Amino acid sequence: MNKLSTIIAAEKSSHKTTCCYCGVGCGVSAELAEGKVVKVAGDKQHPANYGRLCVKGSALHQTQQSNDRLLTPLLHGTATSWDKAMSYAADKFKHIVEQHGPDAVAFYLSGQILTEDYYVANKLMKGFVGTANVDTNSRLCMASATVAHKRAFGSDTVPGCYEDLEICDLLVLVGSNTAYAHPVIYQRIAAAKKARPQMKIVVIDPRQTATCDIADMHLPLRPGADAFLFNGLLNFLFKQGAIDEQYVKDHCDGLQDALTSANTQCPSVAQTAALCDLPQSKLQQFYHWFADTAKTVTVFSQGINQSSSGVDKGNAIINCHLATGRIGKAGACPFSITGQPNAMGGREVGGLANQLAAHMDFNKQEHIDRVERFWKASNMARKEGAKAVDMFQQIHSGKIKAVWIMATNPVVTMPDANFVREALQRCELVMVSDCIANTDTAKVADVVLPATTWSEKHGTVTNSERCISIQRGLLPPPGESLHDWQIICDFARRLGFEGAFDYSHPVEIFREHAQLSAFENKGSRDFDISAFSHLSRQEYNQLQATQWPVNENTPSGTRRMFTNGKFFTENGRAQLIPIVARFPKKPPINGQLIMNTGRIRDQWHTMGRTGNASKLMNHAQEPYVDIHPSDAKRLGLKAGQLAHLENLNTNFFGRVNLTEGQRSGEVFVPMHWNERFASSSRADALVNAVTDPICGQPEFKHSPVTVKPFQAAWSGLIVSTQEITPQTAYWCKIPVEQGFKYRIADKAQKQHWHTWLKQTFAHIDDWVELGDSQQAFYSAAGFVDACLQVVMRVARSELPIKESRWLDDKISKHCDLNERFAVLAGHGGADTPDQGKIICSCYQVGENQIREAIQKGCVSVEELSGRLKCGSNCGSCIPELNALIKDTQGLAKEA
Amino acid sequence: MSSHQVGRNQPHLVIVGNGMASGRLLDEIIKRSPHKYRISVIGDEPEGSYNRILLSSLLAKEATRDSVIQKDSNWYQANNIQFISGQRAAHINSNEQHVVLSDGRQLDYQQLVLATGSRPARIAARNQHLAHIYSFRTLADADTLERVGQQCKKALVVGAGLLGLEAAYGLAQLGLEVTVVHRNGWPLNRQLDKPSGDMLKRIMESKNIQFQLSAEVQSFTGNSCVKGAQLSNGIEIDCDLAVIATGITPNKELAQNAGLECSRAITVNPYLQSSDKNISALGECCECDGNTFGLVEPIWHQCESLADRLCLEKSTAFVNPTVATKLKVSGVQVFSAGEHLTKGQHREIVLQDTKNLIYRKLLLREDKLDGIVLFGDTRGGNAYFDALLKQADLPQDLSCLLLGDAFFTLPSTTNSEVTAVNE
Repeated sequence: MNKLSTIIAAEKSSHKTTCCYCGVGCGVSAELAEGKVVKVAGDKQHPANYGRLCVKGSALHQTQQSNDRLLTPLLHGTATSWDKAMSYAADKFKHIVEQHGPDAVAFYLSGQILTEDYYVANKLMKGFVGTANVDTNSRLCMASATVAHKRAFGSDTVPGCYEDLEICDLLVLVGSNTAYAHPVIYQRIAAAKKARPQMKIVVIDPRQTATCDIADMHLPLRPGADAFLFNGLLNFLFKQGAIDEQYVKDHCDGLQDALTSANTQCPSVAQTAALCDLPQSKLQQFYHWFADTAKTVTVFSQGINQSSSGVDKGNAIINCHLATGRIGKAGACPFSITGQPNAMGGREVGGLANQLAAHMDFNKQEHIDRVERFWKASNMARKEGAKAVDMFQQIHSGKIKAVWIMATNPVVTMPDANFVREALQRCELVMVSDCIANTDTAKVADVVLPATTWSEKHGTVTNSERCISIQRGLLPPPGESLHDWQIICDFARRLGFEGAFDYSHPVEIFREHAQLSAFENKGSRDFDISAFSHLSRQEYNQLQATQWPVNENTPSGTRRMFTNGKFFTENGRAQLIPIVARFPKKPPINGQLIMNTGRIRDQWHTMGRTGNASKLMNHAQEPYVDIHPSDAKRLGLKAGQLAHLENLNTNFFGRVNLTEGQRSGEVFVPMHWNERFASSSRADALVNAVTDPICGQPEFKHSPVTVKPFQAAWSGLIVSTQEITPQTAYWCKIPVEQGFKYRIADKAQKQHWHTWLKQTFAHIDDWVELGDSQQAFYSAAGFVDACLQVVMRVARSELPIKESRWLDDKISKHCDLNERFAVLAGHGGADTPDQGKIICSCYQVGENQIREAIQKGCVSVEELSGRLKCGSNCGSCIPELNALIKDTQGLAKEA
Repeated sequence: MSSHQVGRNQPHLVIVGNGMASGRLLDEIIKRSPHKYRISVIGDEPEGSYNRILLSSLLAKEATRDSVIQKDSNWYQANNIQFISGQRAAHINSNEQHVVLSDGRQLDYQQLVLATGSRPARIAARNQHLAHIYSFRTLADADTLERVGQQCKKALVVGAGLLGLEAAYGLAQLGLEVTVVHRNGWPLNRQLDKPSGDMLKRIMESKNIQFQLSAEVQSFTGNSCVKGAQLSNGIEIDCDLAVIATGITPNKELAQNAGLECSRAITVNPYLQSSDKNISALGECCECDGNTFGLVEPIWHQCESLADRLCLEKSTAFVNPTVATKLKVSGVQVFSAGEHLTKGQHREIVLQDTKNLIYRKLLLREDKLDGIVLFGDTRGGNAYFDALLKQADLPQDLSCLLLGDAFFTLPSTTNSEVTAVNE
């Protein structure tokens, strides 16, 4: 297969592009030199970020290199040509369709791929193969909000824009840790709050997250009680006379039913407070604030969506906004913020199994006919396909026999992920397109196809405020890798659909996508980008970030929707939905705790990119478990020990972190770790495959698990230039500048550290070793030409070995005689103090340095920034800096 | 009275022997009361007091002859001390309080100090009479070895204690092929354990010195001059020079013949007094509380104790100190104190750098230090030794204890340098 021409920028130049991480969709200005992106900065003109970048975005150029980059197609694990890999896959795929019908094949896509990739994948399956078995990892993050929008507005429309979050007088953040998950939005809110301290911020989240740093009130509600809280609010608004009668009369249906339902469950604030496990006075205070504040924005995210009743929760929130007419106005709207860079683009092309295309659905025959005509589809799908959880269940049962997974890692991220792995192992044909060779999913694939990634891919994405921007292809695809749309179109041609997939540049796909959005629209559908229908290649390459709809009436885009009170339902009126609030499906039994999962500040998804940057690994280097001290005490867990979480016969090992910010009875674990980075810390493998019956989104935030101590007989540390797989029950990998660091632990008393080390590093014959006859500790360092290759330090302790950056930095370096011994100690000795855990990733400032500066008199973030620079770039660490100031000053007072 | 008297009014102190103990005693006396005694020193070697420890350096041409001699004849003159060199004390008449010299002269004394030292121990091998078989004990031995060594190609050294190794090193430096025959399984077995002894062996092997371990010389071969040796392990070694350095025998005969109480050596009380109240003994020729002495440090203590009594009539009891052996062998630093072999009751902590031939071992008994072996890198030796003497509490984290003082703190450390060894 020929490589199609890509957009390669000139040497030493600066280009505007878009970040590939979260749903904020920040504009990035990337500087190129010597065939690499050498520097990134926030694009000052981009409406999402106005020049800001978070820590992940700031490190985009540092995540380009990976030892694990996939450079050639693999067929059953062996490198092969594109032609062989694609013929094998296409023949088998075609054969399965012929034998078992189109519903025996499926695509599982990702919010990471671009709109153009998404569009051709969706078109191929729904228009030509003839199945709607196209789903995406957006199912895991957005499905509830999508359906809630559709039920209320008749369309999947985010009504507001980011500016609303800044100009409102009350900002309610529900199940949304923006400080970590959407850092630039958080920075914008924090700046607004600083400018207008009277602006109130309320965080509704079982956890006291970093976002609470700027909150006037934190409501740590019972997990999953959100719909009770908003039902209670609706009832309160009614009783307070805070309903906007005129707005409801003019634009809404269903208020009465919604109120009846709310009043049945939540007749009083007292009862609602009890249901939500919140102090009544605090809840009442929030309700008053809401009732009294016209300019209110409610932001909701995964804490609402990832639930067995996520759609209802979304509508419970939207109900309150519709009832008060707080929608379509500056500084007033419900705002679903999405997790992925292009989940919105995926929704726009119809990349989910229950969507068709361009915000058209299977539930309307005319939509199906319309898309069929537009595509000149040879085999149009006419009904919804299998949603993610169902899709993998059908793969497991053998109903689906071929699946193509693109740019996502379901063996890590799906609930009951071991079941997913088993399903894929059973599947006749598993295709995976990825830029990383050895993801946990790629390991079980028959065909692995090398795809391009950020800075190589070229196409559009849509962020959480409906803003379409271009991710620019700046560098040539490395090795044999190709763009996803190229791979899909080649596959389509091999299946016999040449004519419909004959694109030579993504702009051609984008134009077709725009034309479809306009096709027989006439204002009936929200998604309309008809203004882009005839974009030239140059215009496309230089596309200005624009919020849809973009049509002849709104050629420069649309900031807010529903400003005229007109909705996309049949009767043009918004629908309030009567909500019967429900708690999560599986309550904990027999001393189980509720496991909550989520993102951490410096990592993205399954760490495919962010795991490469040692800078991004320093904030949280290891899988961990946040737990309330009282639970820890009861379970015999101490800070720094390993905890063992278990569900579905699967184990999660993580370091115990005691925090009062965690409710008793619940633990929080990060969702990122996978088998490339840890022995057994895939959080989602412990998540039950319980889904919302309406939208199919899994309940990631509420999994009852047993929690106990790991009971390590010993713990250790390996720092090595070489990547290895430790043979210990627990290990985690942490990339450092010149190699890899591993924390290890095992339960077995008897150990042969010396022997294992000599076998693993057989090429090294220059060793320094330190040990004792009781095997209480052992340290060894191996050198080649006096340069440090590996250090191993173990001790009979449940706590991790003390570490220092000094040792991480010594790896691969020349060591003199003193250093040969010092590396066994793991630190440079009394003269080189350790900087401690990295708090500011941008400037690599550690906790010890920060505490010292506070003790020396820095009492504000500004002063700390002045002295150490911490917090002065992306600002992601500011909540932690504030916490350290409080903590250090508190300690000083006690002393 | 003899013409050798230098003054008339003070009591006469006669010291037999001019080795290191004698030299140090003179320093201690001068420090206390330079004029209390007329002092005479009798030495059978022609030179003044010299540093025996440096003989191997002299042999290896790493030290000059002048730098080895600590007190030459000018020094004695300047300090008004009669130095009778090249003479042995042949006989003591303790009743009449005089010493008879080998040339027949008599020396009256009020106080007599025996510092006759020791001589190389003998071995059981046959044909030790052959020419070119030497010991390595005196400056004369060093001179001889250097001279004879020039004409020889292969040397055999018996004994891999410090002195034997030093001789072997010196000879190897002269260009000879050297074989060391040692009764024990590794060299320096009284200071080192097997791993560190093996390291020392490797180091010396790289310097053209071979080892025959767990072996003894049964007989030397040759007609007039030594031509080889037959070993107990059946191996025959060619050599045209042999050095026997298997330890020392205290020179107690002079005292014994004078009727003084002797056991393995001349018996003294803690004030270094022999069975005759006017006769004292110190150094390698004496035995106190069942101990004999080979290292300099306890002997320095003896010098102080004896000088206190003789000069100040002060009773300072000699207490045999626990001694750290700190030495340099074949260019390698060694520090050894307390137990050096790991036993059942010990917890052992070992640091090994096989490339740089560094070995550091601490032995703990009931969480206190019980032994120290530092080979190749003796940093922290004094601190460990201090902790051993004081039975000090050790840091909680023992894993850094061997890595140098940037990595651990012991309760307190003295700065007193532990001095070298004389075997």
